[in-house]
Amino acid sequence: MNHGIRRRDFLGVSAASLALTRCSLMRGREPQSRVSIVRAGYTQAIYDTVRRLLVEHRVDVRGKRVVIKPNLVEFDPGTTINTHPLLVHAALEGFRAMGAADVRIAEGPGHRRVTMDLADAAGYFDTIPHFEDLFVDLNLDDVSQVLLRDPFSRLNSMYFPNTALGADLLVSLPKMKTHHWVGATLSMKNFFGLVPGSVYGWPKNVLHWAGIDECIADLHATFPRHFAIVDGVVGMEGNGPIQGKPKPVGVLVAGKDLAAVDATCCRIMKIKPSTIRYLLLAAGPRQLDEVNILQIGETIAHVQTPFGLIEEWQNIRL
Amino acid sequence: MDVASITSLQNRDGGWPYRKGGGSSTEPTVLALLAQTVDQGDPQSFERAMAWLRATQRQDGGWPPQTQVSQSTWVTALVALVPRDALGVSRHARAIDWLMGQTGREASLAYKLRNELLGEGGGVIGKHEGWPFFPGAAAWVTPSAISILALEKARRYQMPGDIQQRIEIGQQFLMDRICQDGGWNYGRANTLGVEADSYPETTGQALLALHGLPAAKLEKPLAAAQAQAGRCQSAEGLSWLQLGLQAHGISASGPAKVFPYRHVADASLGILARAALSGRNLFLE
Repeated sequence: MNHGIRRRDFLGVSAASLALTRCSLMRGREPQSRVSIVRAGYTQAIYDTVRRLLVEHRVDVRGKRVVIKPNLVEFDPGTTINTHPLLVHAALEGFRAMGAADVRIAEGPGHRRVTMDLADAAGYFDTIPHFEDLFVDLNLDDVSQVLLRDPFSRLNSMYFPNTALGADLLVSLPKMKTHHWVGATLSMKNFFGLVPGSVYGWPKNVLHWAGIDECIADLHATFPRHFAIVDGVVGMEGNGPIQGKPKPVGVLVAGKDLAAVDATCCRIMKIKPSTIRYLLLAAGPRQLDEVNILQIGETIAHVQTPFGLIEEWQNIRL
Repeated sequence: MDVASITSLQNRDGGWPYRKGGGSSTEPTVLALLAQTVDQGDPQSFERAMAWLRATQRQDGGWPPQTQVSQSTWVTALVALVPRDALGVSRHARAIDWLMGQTGREASLAYKLRNELLGEGGGVIGKHEGWPFFPGAAAWVTPSAISILALEKARRYQMPGDIQQRIEIGQQFLMDRICQDGGWNYGRANTLGVEADSYPETTGQALLALHGLPAAKLEKPLAAAQAQAGRCQSAEGLSWLQLGLQAHGISASGPAKVFPYRHVADASLGILARAALSGRNLFLE
């Protein structure tokens, strides 16, 4: 359904009030979302760390189909751009150990068509046994049309990969990065990779014209069964998501509420969450408010690491 | 993966999936058909694939990327590259008509007017018209390069219309998008003042589409493409580079490491690239 008055026009007048309405009245939610911040490195210890996170958040995947969605963007042996393969493997093993019936790894890069080669160069083949059998290139997957219910963007429907649509739980495993178009790219923005390149192209430019922030909010609403573990061991600052600089933070950030996870990441990066427009659209200011997020593990203050911002995004600094 | 292996992956409906077990998609079907054309394919397989293509053409003359998609997209340009007689003359003509009607959204009068009113200009954007992946979106290097190749094929059939003019505008679009390093990125060469690195796939595709231009105009791109070929990290990228460089009379040697083919489309491209290195570049016939 589309609205007589477009949301984006209305937002120009009162973004906060609209988001508040949508968040509190239309969806309903628990008063507090739980978000974990844990210290981590790219070592074998990450396997135990991830397993503890899944137990801590009582992620029940027994008998379910889980799709892990890392962030694979560019050829980068340094893994500053892409989600580290050890984290992806740790998540795979973790969900298997929790009793998932089927765990797949899936991604659809926005710019590069050669997904498997990207994964190979990023170390996924070397780190994850039988990776090729477990992986689905979402850009080339069979698709189905989905009508967007009450969309934020100008799109009434979109095509999505059947692998993503068939998942009981979609696990966002992004890299903690700044982003030159939307300020920061975290667990919610990572869902851009669910949009099939074989239909929309490389890049998925239809979404840009329909509103990047609005489309992120639509993706978040379309795939409501999700969990997130953000790779903030080494993030990216400056001109992300590709041309920025490595930013070591040494943390993983996890939770079931992607908006709360991303808001926490923003605070760690010293970015004001309410200035990230797609977060406001998808969640609203109350859900992003620190008092409404139950932080587990490290405190934000202990791990806070200001990320460098390009000139266009200086106004989002916390 | 040779032609026989590719043929073995053909679906019952006549099309090819990207990967074994998938539904039929237009892109791998066209590339598999072209690979069969240069490498002794199975005539029955070829005809079944052509029948699938004929059956999936949309009313507007274009093709969807998959039958589940109710929209014609850039893959129409790929279909226009298959042998016209096998596809059907009228079907081919409708495909060319569809392509001639497509431009990037940034080339629209409304967008240009908006930019003028907002004082945003737009620089290189919108000066020359390329083709989008998906109608209503901006123009990009890949669909523009493949569309130019399709129109060149149509021009050789002496089809009426403004095809030559559209080809030249499209080629100028590609020339506008050359990156600082001499190759082509997927789109803009510069984002927010930062130069983008070029990609092997798009560099090869652009060079293919610019094959008629004087070598002097392409000195830097040809040098960039040869350098890319030596450090390319995918079979698909190397195939496009070999096809693009061969179009300018250059045989590209690849990197020391041999990269595997990942799916039907890149395996078919590999066959087409090998044929080009042997003197038959099907994209230019």
